[in-house]
Amino acid sequence: MEGEGDQAQRAHAENQGFSGTPKTKGFFGNIKEEPIAKKPFNFSHFYDKSYKFLIIIPILILIISLVYMISFTVQTGDILRKDVSLTGGTSLTVYTDKISLDELESKLKPIFSDVSVRSLTDFGTGKQLALTIESQAKPDDLKKAAEEILGYSLDEKNSSMEFTGEALSKSFYKELLFAIGLAFLFMSIVIFLIFKVPLPSIYVITCAFLDILVPMAAANIMGIRLSAAGVAAFLMLIGYSVDSDILLTMRVLRRKEEALNSRIFGAFKTGITMTLTSVAAVTAGYVITISPVLKEIFFILLIGLITDILVTWLANASLLKWYCEKRPELK
Amino acid sequence: MIKMTFKIWVLIFFLVASLIAINPTGYFQSGVLVKTVVSDSAASESGMIKGEIIKEINGNAVKSMDDYIKLMPELTENLKPVNWTIETEEGTFEYSGLNLEMSVDENLTILNVGKNALISGITENSTLEEINNKKIESIDDFDSAKIEIEPKIELKITTNKGKRTFHASSIDFTVSSVPKTNLKAGLDLQGGARALVKPEKKLSASEMRDLIEVTKNRLNVYGIADIVVRSASDLSGNDYLVVEVAGVSPKELEELIGKQGKFEAKIGNETVFIGGNKDITSVCRNDASCSGIRECQQSSDGYYCRFEFVIYLSESAAKRQANVTSTLSENLTASGDRILSKPLDLVLDDKNVDSLQIDSDLKGNVATQIMIRGPGTGKTQIEAYQNAEASMKKLQTVLITGSLPYKLEIVKLDNISPLLGKEFVNNLFLAAIAAAVTVFIIVFAKYRALKYALSIIITVASEIFIILGFAALIRWNLDLASIAGIIATIGTGVDALVIIVDESEFKKVQYSIKERIKRAFSIIFGAFATVVVAMIPLWWAGAGMMRGFALTTIAGVSIGVFITRSAFGDFIRQIAKE
Repeated sequence: MEGEGDQAQRAHAENQGFSGTPKTKGFFGNIKEEPIAKKPFNFSHFYDKSYKFLIIIPILILIISLVYMISFTVQTGDILRKDVSLTGGTSLTVYTDKISLDELESKLKPIFSDVSVRSLTDFGTGKQLALTIESQAKPDDLKKAAEEILGYSLDEKNSSMEFTGEALSKSFYKELLFAIGLAFLFMSIVIFLIFKVPLPSIYVITCAFLDILVPMAAANIMGIRLSAAGVAAFLMLIGYSVDSDILLTMRVLRRKEEALNSRIFGAFKTGITMTLTSVAAVTAGYVITISPVLKEIFFILLIGLITDILVTWLANASLLKWYCEKRPELK
Repeated sequence: MIKMTFKIWVLIFFLVASLIAINPTGYFQSGVLVKTVVSDSAASESGMIKGEIIKEINGNAVKSMDDYIKLMPELTENLKPVNWTIETEEGTFEYSGLNLEMSVDENLTILNVGKNALISGITENSTLEEINNKKIESIDDFDSAKIEIEPKIELKITTNKGKRTFHASSIDFTVSSVPKTNLKAGLDLQGGARALVKPEKKLSASEMRDLIEVTKNRLNVYGIADIVVRSASDLSGNDYLVVEVAGVSPKELEELIGKQGKFEAKIGNETVFIGGNKDITSVCRNDASCSGIRECQQSSDGYYCRFEFVIYLSESAAKRQANVTSTLSENLTASGDRILSKPLDLVLDDKNVDSLQIDSDLKGNVATQIMIRGPGTGKTQIEAYQNAEASMKKLQTVLITGSLPYKLEIVKLDNISPLLGKEFVNNLFLAAIAAAVTVFIIVFAKYRALKYALSIIITVASEIFIILGFAALIRWNLDLASIAGIIATIGTGVDALVIIVDESEFKKVQYSIKERIKRAFSIIFGAFATVVVAMIPLWWAGAGMMRGFALTTIAGVSIGVFITRSAFGDFIRQIAKE
């Protein structure tokens, strides 16, 4: 990616940054570079003109997500869809390929109206390894019904059972949401301590908020029922997603010897590599892993990271540029 | 050539320390590990102990579990249950079993009847006449018949601690493969049961310690290995007890730890003694001469079995009993026995287990030895027997460990089958390799330099290795949540390394490489701080059920920032100078 042409472009971007100062005009070297400068399309120019409009995209995302989340919350009474580990109930996993998901579900539905069945398949062969039945019913009732349908008795070897009491799962859920809030607060304090300037810190924190909000909305749209691990993934996202915002803000505010645009473009090159490697690793994890817990975590991270690319480079970068343009010492 | 700086030496030190902590020597050990040995069995008498490694059995090399599994059926082929036909003065009884399942005294009175024999209808205190059509006229006859008919094999076992030779009628030890490393898989990867228990009231620190102690004791009485018992509190200040065990059914776990275990022996309204070592000095168990199932009968709705075991009271408890009995009057039963007017009631968790009639001889006497009895019922004889056995074990457990002064509620009960664990682990390796390859490709495509791509992969690999070493050192059980934490670390790790490389390449002429790496680290420390503070609330949230996630993430990024990434920084500084 980074060849000679790239370096020339960087040199050029630096030039553009200093374009207001006429003293470079007299240099011989610059006259030689003139043909490049007259290229029909100049990204730096384009960016200078359009950066304020770029913010519209993340603002739209913010509004859409917020409206969706509010209507979802009004409709369902909660901000997330929860699985039995957070509503209370039983999750019974049977290791069988003798019965299909649909068959088991259709036979259980008349007995437990809230039942849902998921399947666990092998990554290589796609063979069904197990079926997981979830319901708010008591473990013994669910087990008995499943045994009748399967025609054999379930023990500790051929099945797994997880039961969470209703009161506990409620407090679990409350605690996890509280932990997310607390983590967010702590993260905000750290950001303020690092940068010590209010506006750029607030930009970073707003971006982190979006990085959490969008995957939450996405999970709801996709109809995913989140488990305790899934909710914890949002915590991971808090720490994960601010990396590129910190990089950007640090470079733009501290590396004053360089032109503003090239500070941003340089940060972009580093930041996008960072996020893309993470996206690639998480995608590989999501595709290959068979564990439902990890799949859920990877999914949330994936959406969060993709959101982060848009939010960091369209919103945070533009806001920072705006901020710096108004302050000559940062220009 | 790379100059070995202090930071690179620190990295090497931690890599070596992790290797020692993980201790992968198990990969080079052949044999099978002895997990448990039944006490007072032929195996234990031969000197076999838990933890030794079996290398050879009867001249056959045992290199792995596969060898063992192949070998044992051949060796134990002759160890099949035989049919026993026993004649007593009460009739003829038939059952099949590996053992004769009884002993006799010098008058050939039958004692200590085992399960199958009892179910066939043989009662204690009847007189033995014939075994498999052979007249039994003395103890010697009994012993020779027993030895002759009972199937037995000779085992010559060589372990890493010595040679064990014994005759066994059953395999009284269990084995497992030798653990490859010190790393331990968590419940969701290796299978097992977990319970989250909430006491009805807020416990003080010392009460919580007592609860953990009692719970551990109860599980130990049951002979359960590999137990984790710890307290956990959540963000709202609730206290929980977390119990994780392998090889126990959730029902048993519920019985063992969910119950208060309040045992009282009462005469009338007066409590004579309670469970625990203050009143009870010793409880007989696992010894057929003073504990066991004594009698099984048909009852109106199914079957009924009775268990009995002896306990020894402390001096003060025995005196208390004497004081209470001295006030009672004597009665005569219909069958002519003289008993005291009130029985001894055995009450467990406010439920009456049994009422024992007290012999009038005991009136006002200080008796330290007491026979505890109780029933077990069931639809079939076997069910009744098993229920009696379970009740006996439970009662013995609470008599030994004592009761808790408050009620407990099991708020979460999980049982995870060991079946999928291996599949998960293999799958995770595959996912990790795929992630590493994609990261390598992207980094290589970006920098077009093998040295960067390779050193990033090596740094991330050493980061994972040191996290694992840390987990092995603190005996952390790696569960799925911990693995998710490791993945998070890899993500932030690669991010940090990319920042270091990019910063080191920036404006080489204007700034010294030292200054450039310093700048990289100010960004990395910022990112590090946000990850750590975001994870801290998770340590407590939800009774610490996601603690593995928080711990591995915090440990991982800390190891990264202070060890591996600094070394990488030094390394890049040198590459950049070239």
